[in-house]
Amino acid sequence: MLKIENLHAEIDGKEILKGLSLEVNAGEIHAIMGPNGAGKSTLGYVLGGRPGYEVTAGSITFNGEDLLEKEPHERAAAGVFLGFQYPVEIPGVSNVQFLRESLNAQRTSRGEKPLSGAEFLKLARAQADALGLQQDMLKRPVNVGFSGGEKKRNEMVQMGIIDPAFAILDETDSGLDIDALRIVGDGINRIMRKPTKAVLLITHYQRLLDYVQPDRVHVLADGRITRSGGPELAHELERQGYAEVAA
Amino acid sequence: MATKNAEAHAAVAKKYEWGFATDIEQDFAPKGLNEDTVRYISAKKNEPEWMLDWRLKAFRVWQTLEAPDWAKLNVPPIDYQDAYYYAEPKVKKTIASLDELDPEIRRTYEKLGIPIAEQEVLAGVEGARKVAVDAVFDSVSVATTFRAELKAAGVIFLSISEAIREYPELVKKWLGKVVPQRDNYFATLNSAVFSDGTFVYVPKGVRCPMELSTYFRINAENTGQFERTLIVADEGAYVSYLEGCTAPMRDENQLHAAVVELVAMDDAEIKYSTVQNWYPGDENGVGGIYNFVTKRALCQGRNSKVSWTQVETGSAITWKYPSCVLAGDGSVGEFYSVAVTNNRQQADTGTKMIHLGKNTKSTIVSKGISAGRSDNTYRGLVRVAASAENVRNFTQCDSLLLSDQCGAHTVPYIEVKNPSAQIEHEATTSKISEDQLFYAMSRGLDAEAAVALIVNGFAREVLQQLPMEFAVEAQKLLGISLEGSVG
Amino acid sequence: MTLDLPSTREEAWRWADLGGIAAAAALTPITRPDAQFLDLPGAKLLFVDGVLDDAASDLHRVCVGDLTPGAHALGKRATRGWSLHLDAQAVAHPVQVVHVATGGDNHVAAEIVLDTDTSAQVVETFVGAGWSNRNTRIRLGKAARLMRAVRMTQGAGFVTLRDEAELGEGASLIGTMLAAGDQGVRIDAAITLAGEGGYAEYGGALLTRDRLKQECAVRVRHAEPNGQSHQLWRAVAADQSQASLAAAVEVARHAQKTDGEQSLRGLLLHRTATVNLKPELEIFADDVKCAHGATVGELDARALFYMASRGIPAPRAKALLTKAFVADALDRIADETVRAAFAADADAWLESAL
Repeated sequence: MLKIENLHAEIDGKEILKGLSLEVNAGEIHAIMGPNGAGKSTLGYVLGGRPGYEVTAGSITFNGEDLLEKEPHERAAAGVFLGFQYPVEIPGVSNVQFLRESLNAQRTSRGEKPLSGAEFLKLARAQADALGLQQDMLKRPVNVGFSGGEKKRNEMVQMGIIDPAFAILDETDSGLDIDALRIVGDGINRIMRKPTKAVLLITHYQRLLDYVQPDRVHVLADGRITRSGGPELAHELERQGYAEVAA
Repeated sequence: MATKNAEAHAAVAKKYEWGFATDIEQDFAPKGLNEDTVRYISAKKNEPEWMLDWRLKAFRVWQTLEAPDWAKLNVPPIDYQDAYYYAEPKVKKTIASLDELDPEIRRTYEKLGIPIAEQEVLAGVEGARKVAVDAVFDSVSVATTFRAELKAAGVIFLSISEAIREYPELVKKWLGKVVPQRDNYFATLNSAVFSDGTFVYVPKGVRCPMELSTYFRINAENTGQFERTLIVADEGAYVSYLEGCTAPMRDENQLHAAVVELVAMDDAEIKYSTVQNWYPGDENGVGGIYNFVTKRALCQGRNSKVSWTQVETGSAITWKYPSCVLAGDGSVGEFYSVAVTNNRQQADTGTKMIHLGKNTKSTIVSKGISAGRSDNTYRGLVRVAASAENVRNFTQCDSLLLSDQCGAHTVPYIEVKNPSAQIEHEATTSKISEDQLFYAMSRGLDAEAAVALIVNGFAREVLQQLPMEFAVEAQKLLGISLEGSVG
Repeated sequence: MTLDLPSTREEAWRWADLGGIAAAAALTPITRPDAQFLDLPGAKLLFVDGVLDDAASDLHRVCVGDLTPGAHALGKRATRGWSLHLDAQAVAHPVQVVHVATGGDNHVAAEIVLDTDTSAQVVETFVGAGWSNRNTRIRLGKAARLMRAVRMTQGAGFVTLRDEAELGEGASLIGTMLAAGDQGVRIDAAITLAGEGGYAEYGGALLTRDRLKQECAVRVRHAEPNGQSHQLWRAVAADQSQASLAAAVEVARHAQKTDGEQSLRGLLLHRTATVNLKPELEIFADDVKCAHGATVGELDARALFYMASRGIPAPRAKALLTKAFVADALDRIADETVRAAFAADADAWLESAL
């Protein structure tokens, strides 16, 4: 589904990713773990196409198509969802409006019929309920005045509504208490654990992995994948620390 | 604030502590202003022909100009013919050491608490901070210390008169380049009749080994004071310059129209700090200095930086906008200001940040404190040229009012022609809260001390920009300036 | 024709487009455009080139006739116009005024006098081409309330407004201005809170493109204690245009407990455009709360990327963010019909400009 080969990327002329390769197949959940500054978030942003993150070498294909060719919104329409570590506040634009615009822009570009206001609201309410986000949060401006946990839940509500084929979730567990962590974990399983879908979980700790069982775990250090293994690798990392395992 | 700030009132009315006149012989230029005055000044200073021509050119421009139309200031008409334009203490020769300094002048400095005599001693102490003082007594530099050590570092630190004679090429290259002769009425006047001032040149890659300092002092009755300062920091150089002023008590208003020009080349940094405490006039506004100053920095080089810090407590009228022209890509301009006005004082001060280069940044922090029947105005301009990509500016203007008879005004202009700019401006106006006063007083402070404490807290962001020895003086000054404002 | 306009050397006219006014006054006649009233009950006035079209108007309580000219440099040209005077406890329906210009210059004066405890709503719309100059005097008695909304949607030319308002004790004025056409604009206002506890909201949005210049120059004076004023302005400048926001708060010596707020924000859509801001405070009382914020910049790049990552194409994301930026300034219109009409004008402008 997603194939990254020898990816080099830099910000402001500083190379962060230094030859990263990774392949994720449909039906799989992969976890990327690694110390701070290893390039985890950069990987997420490069996949999402954030301006300023320049790919200097290598390739990324998604379902056989060149992902790097696409604009950020085209990647979204193609089915790629990026869950932000720090969701952005947008004063003056309501959550409902934001999400309906997003979803319908994606549907239109895929040749599907846009959802009506009523259809959309029904969908949004169901997702908000499933993730324990209060209904009135949907009417409020995007992420403005949300707590850290609410922002992360809001990301999951968005993912539920958009229903992507592939999700990159950047430190989705940070800022969550244990109850919220379980709710978010359940949400990821419910929305994404399907034979046609795949997930890339970017995380520093293995605690989210207690709720979302990964098929593969990769260690990212100094811009490269230095080790890969099954779920047991996450526990090994937790016990021994990155310095030991990554080396 | 009828209640507790009334307590805050009683503290501002104290007499000007440092008002005294020194009695030494003066050598005056004839009263009045005409071409002969300009020639007299130039001749008195043994200036070369080009300098006299430069002055005369400025004088001819000045004659065509009209005195500015004041925005917020109430300025009595000034009779430019009823003033002296040059006064020189009768020191016949340049002196080799401080011991040769006129004892009268030495005593004046001592009364002001300027420890000149101690400075060389201090300099001998291992690791002690050094401050070089180019003392300007009225118009002529009469004592210069630490010249030898500076010379070893390659730093030129001279009176501008000496520099004109000794380094004519450097002076010619930069004089009037940052503040052109016809920039404004007072800058033009200064260009014609400047008496003396300071010249600093820090060569490539040199970090000036000590803080440079000049104490200005207006001493002769009816003498206009026209200082001229030019500081050039060459590539990668760094210099911190301290300027401090006090003046004796006078009944007649005195005009001060200085020009300060700073030039910073690639990667150079200039830090210019001022504590200004000229005689502000009595509680009825009689006497006091008129301070019309043009200060401007040209950040010519890439990644150059100029930082203006000022604590303004004196003068009857202050008109002063230390500015930065940010021409070099990545250059940085800063302006930190505390202006205190009391009694009938009027201050109209602020800055201009002119962003021309890419990735230029500016920060403006202005704290205005008004007491008595004074008026305190921040007037500023942030301009972003169309060519200036990724400009950042942050401006914070806060006003504190200590009486119900004073005024606080904020007049910021923002002109932006490039969409990548991020300009933020915030302003607040407040009084000292009763809760704050009560809390401080319940801990044992009297009203004056409590006000001084709170005012110093209000001004902290700016005071902490000052070099240490200045910060202490400035803090004291804030307290003294506001004595009698509480009551 | 000599127009005898003020000079930009005068501080209050620093950013004014005096050449634009002169050019507008010289515009050749155009065919009269359609003018439509909003679906509201109450008086409807149609002025064509400054002259009342009786057949198309329904005056209700509004009178039309000569009015005393003021002293303002532009406003003094208007000597005739409409007036609304409400006696104590009178009930008023909304007043709609549509100004149609077909070239040249036209001048209309207006007077709104509301006695104790009365309230009124006035909606004005400008269409057509030419220089439309207005002088509006507002006097609000004790606890009187006026909601006034003005939209400038001329296809060419210039609209100049001079508002002079005096608010009595506890009176409230809510003025919302929208410039969303292809004309130059100057909104010049002097609002005095002359009674204790007055409340003024005066603001709006200037949307400017091509080589147009639009500006507001508003001064709110707090003369008595316990007053509140809010000036919230948004400017969007595209192409080579210039939008200037000058808003001043003045607090008189004994106007204690004043709460004066200004929020000025400019958005540049192109690197050839200019935004000027001048949030001015002039304060003579010591127990006041006056704060202002001013920002200029472009749309938040992080927000644009966030929206793109959710599938929203860049132009749409820009439009949404710009709309949100402007919406703040129009939200204060209480009447839903009026608010919707203003929002639609702003949207239409943004759609075509982005």
